[in-house]
Amino acid sequence: MTPDKSDVLYGTLGLMVIKTLEALGPLHGYRIARRIEQISGNQLVLNQGTLYPALLKLEQMGLISSKWGTSETGRRVRIYALTRAGGKQLHKEEAQWQRAANIVERFLKISEDPS
Amino acid sequence: MRVRAFFSRFVAFLRSRQMDRNIDDEIASHLAEATDDYLQQGLSPEEARQAARRSFGGVTQTKEIHRQVRSFMWLDDLRRDLRYAVRTLWRSPGFTIVAVLTLALGIGANTAMFSIVNGVILRPLPYPKPEQLMHLNTQEPAIGLVRFPLSPPEYLEFRKINRSFAAVGAYQIGEANITAADRALRVRAAFVDDYLLQALGVQPVQGRLFSLGETDISGPTAPGQPAPPPAPVVILSHDLWQATFGGQPMVGQMVEVTGRRREVIGIMPPGADVLDNRTQIWMPLGLNPTNPGDRRSHNLYLIGRLKDGVTAQAAQTELIALIQDWGERVGVQDHVFATVKPDGGAEAVNFDAGHILQMKPLHDEIVGDAGRSIWLLQAAVVLVLLIGCANLANLLLARAARRRREFAVRAALGASRGRLLRQSVVEGVMLSIAGGAFGVVLAYGGVQSLIHLYPTSLPRTSEVTLDPLVLLFTLGVSTVTGAVFGLAPVMHTRGSGLMIGLREGGPKGGTGSASDHTRRGLVVAEVALAVILVFGAGLLLRTVYNLTNVDAGFNRSRLVTFFVPLPFVNFREPAARVQIYQRLLDTLRAVPGVQKVTAMSGLPPTRPAHNNNTDIESYIAPPGGPFELVDYEQFVMPDYFETMGIPIVQGRSFRATDAVSSGMVLIVNETFVNTFLKGRNPIGQRVRPCCGDRMPWFTVVGVAKDVKQGGVHQKTGTELYFFAARAANLPPPRGSITPGAMNVVLRTTLPAAALSSTIERAVREMDRSVPVVRLRDMEGVFAESIQRPRLLAQLVGGFAGLALLLAAVGTYGVLSYLMAERRREIGIRMALGAARASVLAMMMKQGAQLTMIGLVVGLAGALALNRLLASLLFGVRPTDPATIGVVVGTIAAVAAVACGLPAFRASQLDANVVLRDE
Repeated sequence: MTPDKSDVLYGTLGLMVIKTLEALGPLHGYRIARRIEQISGNQLVLNQGTLYPALLKLEQMGLISSKWGTSETGRRVRIYALTRAGGKQLHKEEAQWQRAANIVERFLKISEDPS
Repeated sequence: MRVRAFFSRFVAFLRSRQMDRNIDDEIASHLAEATDDYLQQGLSPEEARQAARRSFGGVTQTKEIHRQVRSFMWLDDLRRDLRYAVRTLWRSPGFTIVAVLTLALGIGANTAMFSIVNGVILRPLPYPKPEQLMHLNTQEPAIGLVRFPLSPPEYLEFRKINRSFAAVGAYQIGEANITAADRALRVRAAFVDDYLLQALGVQPVQGRLFSLGETDISGPTAPGQPAPPPAPVVILSHDLWQATFGGQPMVGQMVEVTGRRREVIGIMPPGADVLDNRTQIWMPLGLNPTNPGDRRSHNLYLIGRLKDGVTAQAAQTELIALIQDWGERVGVQDHVFATVKPDGGAEAVNFDAGHILQMKPLHDEIVGDAGRSIWLLQAAVVLVLLIGCANLANLLLARAARRRREFAVRAALGASRGRLLRQSVVEGVMLSIAGGAFGVVLAYGGVQSLIHLYPTSLPRTSEVTLDPLVLLFTLGVSTVTGAVFGLAPVMHTRGSGLMIGLREGGPKGGTGSASDHTRRGLVVAEVALAVILVFGAGLLLRTVYNLTNVDAGFNRSRLVTFFVPLPFVNFREPAARVQIYQRLLDTLRAVPGVQKVTAMSGLPPTRPAHNNNTDIESYIAPPGGPFELVDYEQFVMPDYFETMGIPIVQGRSFRATDAVSSGMVLIVNETFVNTFLKGRNPIGQRVRPCCGDRMPWFTVVGVAKDVKQGGVHQKTGTELYFFAARAANLPPPRGSITPGAMNVVLRTTLPAAALSSTIERAVREMDRSVPVVRLRDMEGVFAESIQRPRLLAQLVGGFAGLALLLAAVGTYGVLSYLMAERRREIGIRMALGAARASVLAMMMKQGAQLTMIGLVVGLAGALALNRLLASLLFGVRPTDPATIGVVVGTIAAVAAVACGLPAFRASQLDANVVLRDE
């Protein structure tokens, strides 16, 4: 029950979710979770349950949409898809992450170099 | 984006159940998919299910977080708190009923009073741009008059020379006889000019208003001749049109008004009035602009409308400037205005040059003295509500102590302190909103019956309603009240308190000294507030008692009176009028059960003053007064003093022969003698009444005991008694002043109701168009004259009683609680040999201490506040020791009962039983 910390997690998790949806098209929750685990090379221990509040938040922000559908196994599942706004947001955040990663990388290099 | 999120959250809140089902389904299908995957990896069905659950994490937590994200946490929590509060309150119906009733009384009284504050004081007058309306009158400090009319010349001059007003009009108020459906009625009339209606800015709902000049009379009036009447046109008030004429089309119809057929030209909109006259019929003023008459003859009030953009302040400044050189501006020397002092008053010079013109917003003039009473009552009900709050805080405190374990458990299970606080406040607010809802019903009933019973005790009663502002006020008061007493019980369960509650484990929990202090403090506060109210009520009740027992100067028991307004037009000759009255009196005297009967122009103890200039032969007014001005004149029929039971203290009463003797005689009152003829023998002195040289000198033949004229609470003014039968033969203009309307008084053993049909018949035989007005006994006349102070005393008294009851219940509750806490201690004391009497004394002492502190604090507060009450009191000072004594006695007696019962129960404890329980 520490929403502040979870928020940070939602942030990254959100980015992963929309990237996944952009790459693979509409998916249901379990598939999204598995995909994120696979991409991270199973290094990310995802409590799959935390995915659902994150999905809800993205939907409230209008980045993804959802509707009831049927899974490959014939189950009634909720299928999530990227919206146009979600696509735009993804590009913005990708660029931001890239920049942030570059800065951190350069910073770490300087620190490592004693000269 | 944010708006969208808010909207989707709101939808989620409304569709909370469906959203719950959705997430359940989604989690279920997720787990099923995961289980399938694990099965494919070769796990057993049981293992696969467990693995799926493991990788999912906590299902309940997920749902909980989902719920938080989805909707408004606080809204969801509030819903749960409300549900919980309803359950809790439902489980303790006794507590709930007491709490809701207390609140209903407290909030109801506040709502009722606020609806009056709102309707009378806050709501703007029902005219366009009401803030532009000003009321003008004069002040005559030399003769102690603070609201005096203007004379017609002064009015016309002001209308001409002012630059601030878009329109200024004049009015008089009075009464008129009308005949509707062959029935004679007396209605309240306003005599106005067209400028006045223009200033008010009213529009007729039907027909038209007076047109320019229609309200005037024209042509020079021959001296001594009756003035030509103004145009025979009238406007009906909306009320009169509906109530008396059934809303039928009336415009263009002829109606008999005061003995003359007049055309109804229009219907006023509802709410149109001059001041607070509750005007039923509007008639032309009948001013003669080319010959306005004597500038000493004050008989008009003005209402003006400021020009757009002119402030009241600017108009006031202009008014003062005008007054300074009024004489030069308008070219008069006599009877001009005095210099205005910085405080707004006038220099008290003599009557002729001592008055000033003054201005006030119309709204203030209408509310007048009632404002103070209304605010006083509002303050009283706030005190009652505070006491109610203290009581409920106490009750909740006691309950909180019992629920301590519940709170502790919930805190241990993770409920934050804020949550617990909120829970308590939600309970409080729920109780007070329930109380408020009942309160509104009580308030509505209360105010309606109040207005019904005392229609004239307040101005603007038609505006008093439960409008949205009042309901908003009630909602606000309820919420604040609930929050205040809901917070109290949680405030002291700070920090470690919760831990102690858990550790002790009992339902009651520990007795923190902090909560005891809170409790004692509440008792002291309740007692103090009750003292303030009881003291105020005591003073007001003394006031009413004093007013009731004022010696009005005559024997008021077994007197029946009514008013007979003979219209001048039909009975032009003064002597004829007197004869008609004489015949009526003769008829009534013959009625069995009637001992004496008489008639007079003014009905004591409350009638309008005359303030007529009068020559007193042997008196020359000193520069500072008293001036030769007589406050009241009374025209009486034979047997006046005998019927009324007014003693003649010197000289003689009127005799039948006085009507025909050549010499003119009159009788004066004691105040007249003390004012003008001090140390001289009044009998044989000569007096020449108003106005002018053509009046004969009258010889004083008797001195009557003082009779109240301006109200029982007023000082008696100087008074002259004329014998109507003789005065009717005076030369004009005095002869014609012999009243066309007289009050008949009967000394009788019969009640007014029993005489009513006889009287109606006798008056109808006299003239069909003349109504019998205000038939009642003299006690009723007195009761009406002190209606407002009596109503005020009754209301404050009622509120004080309520406060006392609540405070007593509160004190009783706290002492019972304290006794329960000390049960064990008392048991031990008794086992060790303490006598019952000493236990009783010990417990009583505890209560007495609290009461004493409350009493002292309350008295100090009351003495500080009662200065505000001073202007509403009569014959009793705000620091009256006797009242203080009674208040102390009353509070002590009530406290003795409230403390005595628990103390007595404590003293009856059986030590064996108590100690075995522990």
